[in-house]
Amino acid sequence: MNTTLRINGNDKQFPQDRAPKTLAELLAELKIDQATVVAEIDGRIVERKDFASAALQPGQSIELVRFVGGG
Amino acid sequence: MDTLKIADREFTSRLFIGTGKYASNEIMARAIATSGTQMVTVALRRVDIENENDNLLAAIDRSKYLLLPNTSGARDAAEAVRLARLARAASGIRWIKLEVTPDPYYLLPDGTETLKAAEILVKDGFVVLPYINADPILAKRLQDVGTATVMPLAAPIGSNQGLQTRAALEIIIEQATVPVVVDAGLGLPSHAADAMEIGADAVLVNTAIAAAADPVAMAAAFKLAVEAGRIARLAGSAQRSRTASASSPLTGFLRDDKP
Repeated sequence: MNTTLRINGNDKQFPQDRAPKTLAELLAELKIDQATVVAEIDGRIVERKDFASAALQPGQSIELVRFVGGG
Repeated sequence: MDTLKIADREFTSRLFIGTGKYASNEIMARAIATSGTQMVTVALRRVDIENENDNLLAAIDRSKYLLLPNTSGARDAAEAVRLARLARAASGIRWIKLEVTPDPYYLLPDGTETLKAAEILVKDGFVVLPYINADPILAKRLQDVGTATVMPLAAPIGSNQGLQTRAALEIIIEQATVPVVVDAGLGLPSHAADAMEIGADAVLVNTAIAAAADPVAMAAAFKLAVEAGRIARLAGSAQRSRTASASSPLTGFLRDDKP
């Protein structure tokens, strides 16, 4: 069985026993530096200080955004 | 130069810089440093989770430059408010360049949605710098709801056309009680000087510098132009007239005038 998380509009599968349990674990799994991103879970903003405690449930929709060049 | 106050911040540079379209973060960092700016805009986008390596913020010294996140990509007020709140969570600051541009062809701002978003964001504690068309009435409505500036366009974003909206900009500048930042469409240092000469408090430039053959040199040119334009504004320009007004004396010519 796999666990599905919707990340930035795309479904991503994780083996159930190795699915990330928190936002911090997800970022580590994706090799994304926590300091550069901000996140929403199901439309609710998660502050960076709360990444480690933000629990993930199967089927949730997660947005990971960061600053890029812009005018 | 005299200082510019926006909300609780004072700026000695009246040139704000966008960080888009640079060939590299290294060139961007050098252009920013050369421009003398104290505020740079950035955008928020989804992380590319398959290929995450670009870290823009590593190239921007936040002890020197205030970050001004924008809401680019927002097509209505709700999207702009969502982006602003994400930007605040990401940057830790409450400054936001509010832009709502539903039409990707001309990227003209939607005044109705911008006003709606501005009201929500001001109430939520944001320092709101709205990007608007050069509409003096909308500028008044925005300052009435508490925006920190108004930022009318000179011409469409990235079009490098200069002050196409001059007459309306002059009215906004005459009437505004908040700083007026001319944003978008300035393609040359002379355009920036032009905006400052008619009384803009500052200008925001991205494409004209980033897309120049030598962005660092162009940043230097814009710095000088903005300073020249500001000093000229404060100096008070001489009267324009349709006919000549001799600079040299009209007496004592080396000829004998016939009676």
